[in-house]
Amino acid sequence: MAKALQWIKMGRKLLLEKAHVEGIRYYDVYRREGGYRSVEKALKTMTQEEIVEEVKKSGLRGRGGAGFPAGMKWSFIAKPEGVPRHLVCNADESEPGTFKDRYLMEFIPHLLIEGLIVASYALGSNATYIYIRGEYAWIPDILEQTIAEAKANGFLGKNILGTGFDCEIYVQRGAGAYICGEETALIESLEGKRGNPRIKPPFPAIKGAWGRPTVVNNVETLAAVVPIINEGGEEYAKIGVGKSTGTKLISACGNINKPGVYEIDMTISVEEFIYSDEYCGGIPNGKRLKACIPGGSSVPILPANLLLKTAKGETRYMNYESLSDGGFATGSMMGSGGFIVLDEDQCVVRNTYSLARFYRHESCGQCSPCREGTGWMEKVLLRLEKGEGKLSDIDLLWDIQSKIEGNTICPLGDAASWPVAAAIRHFRDEFEWHVTHAAEAQTRNYGLAHYADPIHVPA
Amino acid sequence: MSDTPLFKVTIDNITIEVPAGTTILHAARKIGGDVAPPAMCYYSKLEGSGGKCRTCLVEVSKGSEKDPRPMPKLVASCRTTVMDGMEVKNITSPKVVDARASIVEFLLLNHPLDCPICDQAGECHLQDLSYEHGKDGTRYEFQRRTFKKHDIGKYIQLHMTRCILCYRCVYTADQISDKRSHGILDRGDHSEIATFIEKSLDNDFIGNVIDVCPVGALTDKTFRFKNRVWFLKPMDAHRDCPTCSGKVTLWNRGDEVYRVTARKDEWGEVEEWICNDCRFEKKKTSNWVIEGPRLIDRHSVIAQGHYAGKIGLTKPTETFSAVHHGRQPKLLMDIHSVSEVNQTNIDLSSINGPAHSNNFNVNKY
Repeated sequence: MAKALQWIKMGRKLLLEKAHVEGIRYYDVYRREGGYRSVEKALKTMTQEEIVEEVKKSGLRGRGGAGFPAGMKWSFIAKPEGVPRHLVCNADESEPGTFKDRYLMEFIPHLLIEGLIVASYALGSNATYIYIRGEYAWIPDILEQTIAEAKANGFLGKNILGTGFDCEIYVQRGAGAYICGEETALIESLEGKRGNPRIKPPFPAIKGAWGRPTVVNNVETLAAVVPIINEGGEEYAKIGVGKSTGTKLISACGNINKPGVYEIDMTISVEEFIYSDEYCGGIPNGKRLKACIPGGSSVPILPANLLLKTAKGETRYMNYESLSDGGFATGSMMGSGGFIVLDEDQCVVRNTYSLARFYRHESCGQCSPCREGTGWMEKVLLRLEKGEGKLSDIDLLWDIQSKIEGNTICPLGDAASWPVAAAIRHFRDEFEWHVTHAAEAQTRNYGLAHYADPIHVPA
Repeated sequence: MSDTPLFKVTIDNITIEVPAGTTILHAARKIGGDVAPPAMCYYSKLEGSGGKCRTCLVEVSKGSEKDPRPMPKLVASCRTTVMDGMEVKNITSPKVVDARASIVEFLLLNHPLDCPICDQAGECHLQDLSYEHGKDGTRYEFQRRTFKKHDIGKYIQLHMTRCILCYRCVYTADQISDKRSHGILDRGDHSEIATFIEKSLDNDFIGNVIDVCPVGALTDKTFRFKNRVWFLKPMDAHRDCPTCSGKVTLWNRGDEVYRVTARKDEWGEVEEWICNDCRFEKKKTSNWVIEGPRLIDRHSVIAQGHYAGKIGLTKPTETFSAVHHGRQPKLLMDIHSVSEVNQTNIDLSSINGPAHSNNFNVNKY
C-alpha cells in the first residue's frame, strides 16, 4: 500500500517515465529498463480473459478522442469458430493540435510494440496492424526496426516465449487522409480500398477488417496496457479521479512558452497546466489568455473564463469529466488531448475559418450533409473573416452546423460542426464585430474583450 | 415460406408485419404512399448501396419491444433493419421533415439547376425530391462548383456538376458489368466520378449506369438533346437478345424510337438489367416486339399529355365538326411552308448527336 501511494504521488508518469533514458528507442536499453515484463507476465501467467478483465478494472478509456472504455471494447469482440481476429493500432493521428502518438512512436516505440503484443494475445490476434498516417513518413522505419528487434529477441513471430502464441505486427502507411483515423474508414483503407467510413452496425468488433472481428485502438491506449499489466488494473485505476483513470498524454501547443507532450495524471487544474513551469509555462510576451481548444481541433473552443472555471464557479481540471462539465453549453471535451492555447492577439473568426477549411478538405464526400455543408461553412466563414459578411451569416452558420451534426455516417460531420457552434456560442460578439466593424476587422483583432471576465455564478 | 420470424413495426402509426432482417425503408415501401421515405442513393438491387445521401433519415421513437429506448439520432432507414415492436416516425416527425429539407438544400447547393437543358428532367429523382421536400429558395450565395470535363465514350455523357455522389454507378459497374473502369476520384466536395486516366466506358451492361443515376449526371449520348421525355411515349417491348433478357421500355414519338431503357418499377428501380446492344444499337421499331404502353404513374410528368388519368382510358372524341355543323377545321398555315427546321423528311431520332441547324441546311447546298 505504501508503495502504491508513493507511486501515485511521485510516479505520475507511466508512459513517459523512461522517455529520456539514452537509447530507450532500442531494444537493449528498453529491456534493461524493465521493458517487455508485461509480455512475460501476460503470456506466461495470465489467460486472455484475465487480461481483458484487468484492462476493464483499470478503467482505461480510449485515448483517441471518444473516451470509450477500452476493456469494454475488447470484451465486445466476436469469437466465431475458425475466423481469425485482428487488432489494429490506430496511428493515424491527424487531429490538428494532436501529436502525442508521434512522440510515443518516435522516442519509445518499444512501449507501443509491447502493448500491442499483450493486447494481441488478449484478443487472439495473430496478425496485428499498425495503420500510420502517411505524413509520418519517417516513423514506419522506426517501427519496423523496433518490430525486427522484438522479433529477434523472441517477443514476436512464432511461439512467443514458448507459449505457443504466434503474432506478427505489420506497419501499413496511409496516404494522408484525416478521415482514415475513423476506425471503419481506417479498416477500408487497410484493406486497400478508398477510405470511406462504413455504415454501422455492424461494428468492427463483429465485422471489421476483411469481414473478421477487429478491435481498433489508439497508440496511447495500447501503450497504456503495459503499465496496467505490470502494476495491475486496480493500481492503475487509483491514479486520476472518478472515471478518468491513469495518466493522459497532452500535446500542448499554441501561444505557450513550452509547447510539447506532457503526461498528466488528470488531477491538475487547467490553470496549473497552462501556467506552471512544469507544463506549458505560461503565455509568452506577457499576453493574456483568450481562449483554448482543450482536446484537439474538433472539440468546442472555450473562452478563458469558462476554461479555468466551470459555469458553477468550480475549478476546471484536466480530466474527462471536468473538461466536459456543463455539456456543450459551457463545457468542452478531453478529446484526443491536443491542447491549443490562444492568446489575446488571436482572432476566433480566423481560427474557426481555418478549422472549417480543414474539415472541408478532409471530408470524404460520401454523405451529403458533410460534403456540402463543410464547404458552405468554410465559404461563409471566409466571407466573415474578410469583412464581407452579413449579420444573418452568423445565424446561417448556426443553422448549417446544426443540420450537419448527427445527420452523417461518421463523426467527422460532428467534428466539423462543434468548433463552429462553440465559436458562435461563446464568441458571438467577435463575429458580429467582424460585420459591424468590417474595415477595422481587417486591420486589427478584436482582442480579449470580456472573455476573461469572471462569470457570474447564481447563488 | 422460410422460418424467419415476423417482426411488428409501426411506421407513422401504421403497423405492419415484416420478416426479420427487413430494412425500415422496405417495410415503409410495403405500406407505400407518403410513408415510404425518399431514397437517392439506396438501390435495392445493388448490394452495399445506401446510407450516403441521408434523404431517407427517419426517427426511431421506440427501438424495440425488448429495448424501448428511442435511437439518439435520426437513422438511415435504408440501412437500418427493423426490430420487433419498433416504432418509426417518418413524415409524422417534425425532426425528420426538418432534416430532410436541409438534406435537399445540401444536395441542391452545388447542383446547377440546369433542368431546362437537362435530359433527365421529367424523370429526375432530385427534381421530385425538391418538389416534395425542398424549400423555396436557396441560401447559398457562392459560385457552384465546376469540374474539368471528362469524355467517357460514345455511349454515356457525364455531367459531373449534376452528380450527387450516390455511388450507384460505381456499384453497378462492380456488380453488373464485367469490369469497372470508373470510380470516385478525390474526396469531399471536390470528389468526382471519372475514369483514371480518360477511358471510355464500353463494357457490356455499363449502359445501366444511366438508368440507376438518380440525376442527369449520366445520360444516354444517343438520346442527348433529342427530345423531352414527356413528349415520348413509353412502350413495353422485348426482343430475343443473346446477352440479356431483352425486356425494355421503348420511348417513341410517332414511329421513331428515341431511346431504349430498362423497365423501372414504382420506386424507379430497374426491373431487369439490359445490355448495351439493346440500349444503344436497336433503335428501330422493327427490332422489337411491342407489348403495349408502359404503365406510368399518373402523377409523373411523363404521363402528362398522353394519357388522361389512367392508362387505357379512351381518347375523348373529336367534337369540332359536330358543333360546327360538319365543318372541318381549316388549316391556315403549314409551318413547313415558312420554316426550314423540323422538316418532316428528317427523323430527329436518327440524327447522329443532338439536332443542330446544320441538319436542316441540306436543301441549301
